[in-house]
Amino acid sequence: MQPTWVTDATVMVVAGKGGVGSTTVCAAIALLAARSGADVLLISVDGREGVGALLGGPPLDSTDRVLRTVGKGRVRGRTIPPQQAFSDYLELKGISGVLRKAASAASLDSIAAATPGLEHLLVLGKIKELERVHAADLILVDAPPAGHAAAFLHSAAALQKVVANGPVRVQADEVAAMISDRSRCQGLLVTLPEETPVNETIELAYDVEETLGLSLGPLVVNGCWPERPGMDRSITAAAKAQGVKLSAGAKAALEASADFGRVRMQGQQRQLARLDELLPLPRLVLPRLPTAHIGQPELELLADALSAPVAVRQ
Amino acid sequence: MSAASSALNSSQLGSVLDAASLLVTCGPGGVGKTTCAAALGIAAAGAGRRVVVVTVDPARRLADALGIDVDAKMFEPHEVVGVGSNGGALWALMLDAETTFDRLIIERSGDQAKADKILANPVYRSIAGSLAGAQDYMAIERLHQLHSSGDYDLVIIDTPPSRDAIDLLEAPDRLVRFLGHPIYRALTLPSRSFAKVTNAGTNAFLWIVRRLAGPRLVEDTIDFFRSLSGMEQGLRVRAAEAAELLRADATSFVLVSSPRAEAISESTHLAEAILDGGFQLDGVVINLVHPMPPSLDGWPELADLPEGPLAEHVAYHRDLLALATSEREEMSGLINVVSDVEVTEVPLLEVDVHDIEGLTRLAALLIG
Repeated sequence: MQPTWVTDATVMVVAGKGGVGSTTVCAAIALLAARSGADVLLISVDGREGVGALLGGPPLDSTDRVLRTVGKGRVRGRTIPPQQAFSDYLELKGISGVLRKAASAASLDSIAAATPGLEHLLVLGKIKELERVHAADLILVDAPPAGHAAAFLHSAAALQKVVANGPVRVQADEVAAMISDRSRCQGLLVTLPEETPVNETIELAYDVEETLGLSLGPLVVNGCWPERPGMDRSITAAAKAQGVKLSAGAKAALEASADFGRVRMQGQQRQLARLDELLPLPRLVLPRLPTAHIGQPELELLADALSAPVAVRQ
Repeated sequence: MSAASSALNSSQLGSVLDAASLLVTCGPGGVGKTTCAAALGIAAAGAGRRVVVVTVDPARRLADALGIDVDAKMFEPHEVVGVGSNGGALWALMLDAETTFDRLIIERSGDQAKADKILANPVYRSIAGSLAGAQDYMAIERLHQLHSSGDYDLVIIDTPPSRDAIDLLEAPDRLVRFLGHPIYRALTLPSRSFAKVTNAGTNAFLWIVRRLAGPRLVEDTIDFFRSLSGMEQGLRVRAAEAAELLRADATSFVLVSSPRAEAISESTHLAEAILDGGFQLDGVVINLVHPMPPSLDGWPELADLPEGPLAEHVAYHRDLLALATSEREEMSGLINVVSDVEVTEVPLLEVDVHDIEGLTRLAALLIG
């Protein structure tokens, strides 16, 4: 069953601070949507080609390729190099002949240096174009990591301030309109139950929602250790409750892990409580999987976890 | 070197802190790189060195711990109270690409009116923070300023998180290339001769910018580049000096990673780029490593437990064991690549590091 938040808008921009696993979450959402029969296009803004393998396909490149088929659904993937977005844009605008030639002579680098935010805008413009032609049921955008995610999403608004007219201005206006239209585009923020990622997520959430009007889907809290209420009991009490006689070695080993786990768990609960208090978004919790390497089997588990009902909060 | 600092020599990282005059920390995002940079600063200050730590975008609580007020944009070194012994002390500051660029312009323009004109230009204002690689270049520029001030024995610079680090290492070269670009050169000609320039590349550039972004931006752009003229040579010299400084004997790179597969793979690329570029990689830190609990195989009483509190304890222990084992497998990839360089594993602490006390504890773990 596909939860409704997945299809609230055609474009979903997935963003989070570096290291929180937003690329993995993006791939898991793609898989979840494909399971319900959707045709999904995953776009890695940062050109993270490895996400292709995670879905069982070839490494991502700038061509639109199928990474995975699930029943009637499928996941396609691609990157959008700014240079390519630039020439696609010129073509789309019917700019040809002299100007096209001129454009290739003056490299995009130089033009971009004089027009800050232009590269991001070109990429967002290409995404807007894909949305316009309905290139997929769901267009999933793996945004660059935090800091940069804000710059990426703000590029249109920033250019609106510097550029008064001309095609760049039109493009910026159209992208800004897409970003603030909840039926076309939503943001999905990913975080970890740790202090710094939580702080930065709260900041990013208010920033993009208030200043850009980007509507936010559920907050994904990745890497949460599962609750094990039995661990509130001491090892001795737990062994007694289950009628097990523990050797000293076993007891010491379990105690060391339990002490570590208890303090980490308290930290996790503290951060979830802070999110309760400071960020009123519905929430999805993804489990901390006992591995440092997320591969295809783990991705299936994460997609399962994402299909759980969203905890709606006031 | 003072006798006191020889206490650091027990590990490779310790000797680096003892001998280096510049230390560059780099690594992927989310691995605690800034925290490690601060902890290394505390370790060196504790051993009698005068240290300044330059951070790029510190998390708020870490900034608080270092006495940096993020909102007040504290871009000058600020002494961290209660740190340092044997004559050592620690200063911290936050790097701001725009402010550093402004400072460079003021210093290089040599005359206030000229500097003001550049600083007020809207194109300058918007590119100062985003010019290709500006932030990376400014990190190096700031390092250069602090290093040559003579006020510090050791400058530690925490670089912006990067997937390739190549950005940082190439930043000075890229700025030099940009300044040597024909478009840049044509744009910096005086206006009369400018009108006569028939350089096709430049005309194309202006034609494109005008068509795409309107004539106003073109005027500002030309104005900006023209006002930079005369400073170009100075900027190039400075960029070349910065590039040299990064390869100096007393400059050490320390790579910080975490054991997550993604971070390890990015760090491996980074390590290769550092080594291939002829930079000195003098230490690798793998931070946030889960502790390795013993296997439970020797205790049959724990096998096949029915559901219950003890079974939950055992399940958690097994998860931790599986995770810790998998982390060590991932780490071995990076350890092999950096063969000669000492790799320091720092355990994931029960409580995340956000204050001086935590930093001091981390410092002890780093220098062994």
